[in-house]
Amino acid sequence: MPDNWGYVFSAYGLAAVALLGYWRRLAGRAKRLARPAVRAGNVRQG
Amino acid sequence: MAARALGWLTVLALIAGLGAAFGYAPREAVQGNVQRIMYLHVPAVLTAYLAFALVFVGSVGYLLTRRAGWDRLALAAAEPGVLFTGITIVSGSIWGKPTWGTWWTWDARLTSTAVLFLVYVGYLLLRGMVDEPDRRARAAAVVGILGAANIPIVHFSVKWWRALHQPSTILGPEPSPIAAPIAAALLINWIAFTLLFAYLLAKRMEIARLEDTHAG
Amino acid sequence: MSAYARRAWMVVWKDVLAERRSKESLNALVFFALLLLFVFQFALGPERARVEAALPGLLWLGFILSGLLAFGRTFLIERENDCWEGLVLTPGDKSAIYLGKLAGNVLVMVVVEVVLVALFAVFFAIDFTPFLLGLAAVLALGTLGLASVGTLFGAVTAQMRARELLFPVLLLPAVVPVLLASVSATQTVLAGEPLAEAAAWLKLLAAADLVYLVVGVLTFEFVLEG
Repeated sequence: MPDNWGYVFSAYGLAAVALLGYWRRLAGRAKRLARPAVRAGNVRQG
Repeated sequence: MAARALGWLTVLALIAGLGAAFGYAPREAVQGNVQRIMYLHVPAVLTAYLAFALVFVGSVGYLLTRRAGWDRLALAAAEPGVLFTGITIVSGSIWGKPTWGTWWTWDARLTSTAVLFLVYVGYLLLRGMVDEPDRRARAAAVVGILGAANIPIVHFSVKWWRALHQPSTILGPEPSPIAAPIAAALLINWIAFTLLFAYLLAKRMEIARLEDTHAG
Repeated sequence: MSAYARRAWMVVWKDVLAERRSKESLNALVFFALLLLFVFQFALGPERARVEAALPGLLWLGFILSGLLAFGRTFLIERENDCWEGLVLTPGDKSAIYLGKLAGNVLVMVVVEVVLVALFAVFFAIDFTPFLLGLAAVLALGTLGLASVGTLFGAVTAQMRARELLFPVLLLPAVVPVLLASVSATQTVLAGEPLAEAAAWLKLLAAADLVYLVVGVLTFEFVLEG
């Protein structure tokens, strides 16, 4: 049976992209929240 | 900080997992190397189940105590849970293409996982559409509890409905023998994914906590 | 009759009376069922064989689509007449309200289902009479499953701005098992097989119904606050 490495790498690659993307989104939000509020009052996150 | 340590531990575990999946585990006799996708697919679905179990715990916890921390647990578990479910489906689909010739087969496990995905995406949509924190938490809790209670029901209904997929060697009632290196690689990757989930969960909960204190 | 049962009964009775006076909901739902019949026919094309082959699925599609409309309106009366507070302030075990509303929804669905089956019989020249008992059993268990989740989620989404969108989005994935089991069991029944052949599916339906009812009864009071 042919080895289909392309499929293997796409599967792992997509998973890595998704997880990395989510992690970076979390890291970004955490950084923004840690920063002291510039405007008084409303610090609304998305 | 503990989160930092967890993060680095996760990275180490993931590297170990990849090593096990591509180096230690042997090339499978029947399917060839494409079978290595299993080291991604199975740990992902196990992690998803863990996530939704935690959504259930957080939901019950909130309804019983009204402490926001429980609701944050539910939310923080649901997001990565949906992510891992998506990874399960996509990796399963990619595995299926060279193996069975199509991108999608309505076989038992893929279909069950897809239904699970739909349930919890709905859960997240619900959370996104309700602003008031207590109402949102209560509504989400009810949906989360029913969703979790439904998991075994979905599993059996879909399984009886179709029987194309390989009999589940991990979660099936009659386990067929798996070669030791394959089992070991699965275990290492499962641990790595659980650590990754724990890390994401902790981070997401912290963000939710900070958002709550900013808003309040 | 215990106070609990009386409270549940009053909810059903109130809704039935309100419906009998206005007659709007039930008439419109029945008419909707008729419309679905035509939509199915037009979607599947003129060959009778295709409709016959898809019959169990079409029946349950019809029930689910009608159910989406019916269950979504479960708390419409309370919402439109500003009576939600009244529900919230009800003394005692609020799950009685859930059961009362559930009973009302089941009644509505029974009417819609009987009409839909009759319409299928007429428009597609199908004779259901040899299968009535089996069909009734499947319909009873399946409808209970749909209605128990539908009533609960109807309450959850009742006060939401995005109710019309969220309610179907939440309900449909949750009732997948009911759909699978009901269609499979209906197929077995309509193929003329003895009911025992469908026993596995019926047992699954019964178990699912029990789970959904328990969750509904236990969580309903939390839905009703505020």
